[in-house]
Amino acid sequence: MREPPYQTEQKPYGRALVELARRRDDVLCLSGDLTRQCEVDLFQDAFPDRFIHAGMAEANMIGVAAALARCGHIPFVHTFGVFATRRPLDQIINAVAYPRLPVRIVGFMPGVSSPGGPSHQAIDDVALMRGIPGMTVIDIADAVQARQVCAAIVDLPGPVYLRLKRGEIPLIFDNDHRLALDRADVLTSGGEVALFASGMMLAPSLAAAAVLADHRIGVAVVHVPVVKPLDDATVAAVSAACQVVLTAENHLVTGGLGSAVAEVLAEAGLGRPLRRIGLRDTFAEGAGTAPYLFGKYGLSTGSIVESAWRALGRPGQAPAAGVTDARPGEYSPV
Amino acid sequence: MSPPARLSDPGTRWEVDDPERLATAIRLRAVRMVAAQGFGYLGQALSCAEQVAALFAVARPGTDRIVCSPGHYVIAFYAAGAEVGLIGAHALDSYGHDGSALEAIGTERSPLFDYVAGSLGQGLSAAAGLALSDRLRGRAVRTFALLSDGELEEGQVWEAAMFAAHHRLSSLTVLVDANNSQVDGPVDTITTIEPVAAKWASFGWEPVELDGHDVHAVSQALVRAKDVSRPVALICRTSTAHGLDCLPPDADGHFIKLPPELAAAAVAELTARLGGAHA
Repeated sequence: MREPPYQTEQKPYGRALVELARRRDDVLCLSGDLTRQCEVDLFQDAFPDRFIHAGMAEANMIGVAAALARCGHIPFVHTFGVFATRRPLDQIINAVAYPRLPVRIVGFMPGVSSPGGPSHQAIDDVALMRGIPGMTVIDIADAVQARQVCAAIVDLPGPVYLRLKRGEIPLIFDNDHRLALDRADVLTSGGEVALFASGMMLAPSLAAAAVLADHRIGVAVVHVPVVKPLDDATVAAVSAACQVVLTAENHLVTGGLGSAVAEVLAEAGLGRPLRRIGLRDTFAEGAGTAPYLFGKYGLSTGSIVESAWRALGRPGQAPAAGVTDARPGEYSPV
Repeated sequence: MSPPARLSDPGTRWEVDDPERLATAIRLRAVRMVAAQGFGYLGQALSCAEQVAALFAVARPGTDRIVCSPGHYVIAFYAAGAEVGLIGAHALDSYGHDGSALEAIGTERSPLFDYVAGSLGQGLSAAAGLALSDRLRGRAVRTFALLSDGELEEGQVWEAAMFAAHHRLSSLTVLVDANNSQVDGPVDTITTIEPVAAKWASFGWEPVELDGHDVHAVSQALVRAKDVSRPVALICRTSTAHGLDCLPPDADGHFIKLPPELAAAAVAELTARLGGAHA
């Protein structure tokens, strides 16, 4: 693992999709009028004949992609997460998921990473997709995983929803990290707190674990790149070995990772106190910057530290979480 | 005998000698399919019988693709499939019953179609995707999509119409069953969708307006559409009561009630029209 502030890179996903398409004739790319924003301008340049402009028409885009998949192509469909999941929900359910077609729906700009307000903030996309039978739901953490994710999902059976940060993508894992879709990754060990994090909440979770370690609180940070199907066994095993369980997701605490972990704990009969970090039954708001929103809506390193401190019943004020300053081109969680 | 998963599956064969007779036979079989339960999607079969008969006459067996956008219309395709020998009598009798693969509203299990949608307004996107795939692969295949006029209220239809015209998917031909019927009543009392032909034209399609109960006109239009450089939409003007005089004038076109006496009268009427040989 690298240390914050993290270096970043641009378009790791876009490059990976081009690389995959060089090896795989069956890969097609559809875009809903957000081509550069979804990094697939690279695909359009490399394979113009296999790039399809669907325009601002998500319902049709999903229907066309479903038919292409039915014919044996592997369509990767791109737009922002809000538009990818909310607008064509019935189409995803009936035309893609019910026939179990290998459409790869890629939704950029998760949660409050967009300061663009509720219309552009995908705070419910994981819940919507997780509720669909047979849908794989992926929320990866960094550029090292983004480089690998296209090859990792291309041959998964059935549909996939992939949630991706837009813009500068941090490098959190070392270059030799291997993205595995069949298991959650236990990154640190500790006997007090089991902390399950997905996507953009991995960075603040690691930072929170470091703060808590300084106060002799051991945190097992587990990155969960695949929210569905969840690695139940790892969730149960790590939780059983800890006193309290935390989840951290850039999403509502309902319907996503927090709910999924709660289901595992309950079904396994593990009576661990659970605290879920995420948006709590609220829409966010438009703002100038994403870090402001991560702070305001409780998605900060400090919020995680505070939750762990309270869940463990520690007295007094939770330790402060120092923020690592990031220069331009670097990334640090708030 | 199990029916072909898709009419476009290689090796699928059938012949249609007399499309007009096939349309009447579709009506008779549909009456019997609905009579078993006393109600059902008979109005759809009555309004689209000539279009389905023309499709079976024009589409190349084992090659061309059929999309049925309104899943409630599968009844007419099943009736036609049985008539040309692709669906056995036993299977057809199971239509709509518990455990049957011939569900009353089309699903992924439904035979014959390249795509059938139960949630309305989605079929044209699928048809466009199929036609796009064929073009990407250089396959000379036509895709025929049956839509209903009520579906034109769904925005996705027009997203798909723009997409197909922009991408010049000329292998795509749409039949709009303009029967002026939807669940809440006549379409024109719910939402004004006219002028339908002008809408398709303005979306970049070649519209053809015709009497949807003239099976020869529909067949000819389907054949001619092959040589048009744009996608073609046949606006087929129809009625959910056509070809069955014994129906009461207030029959609900979306979901017709067919008690035993009425069913018997309908069977007698249609059997007589077929020359008595079909009883």
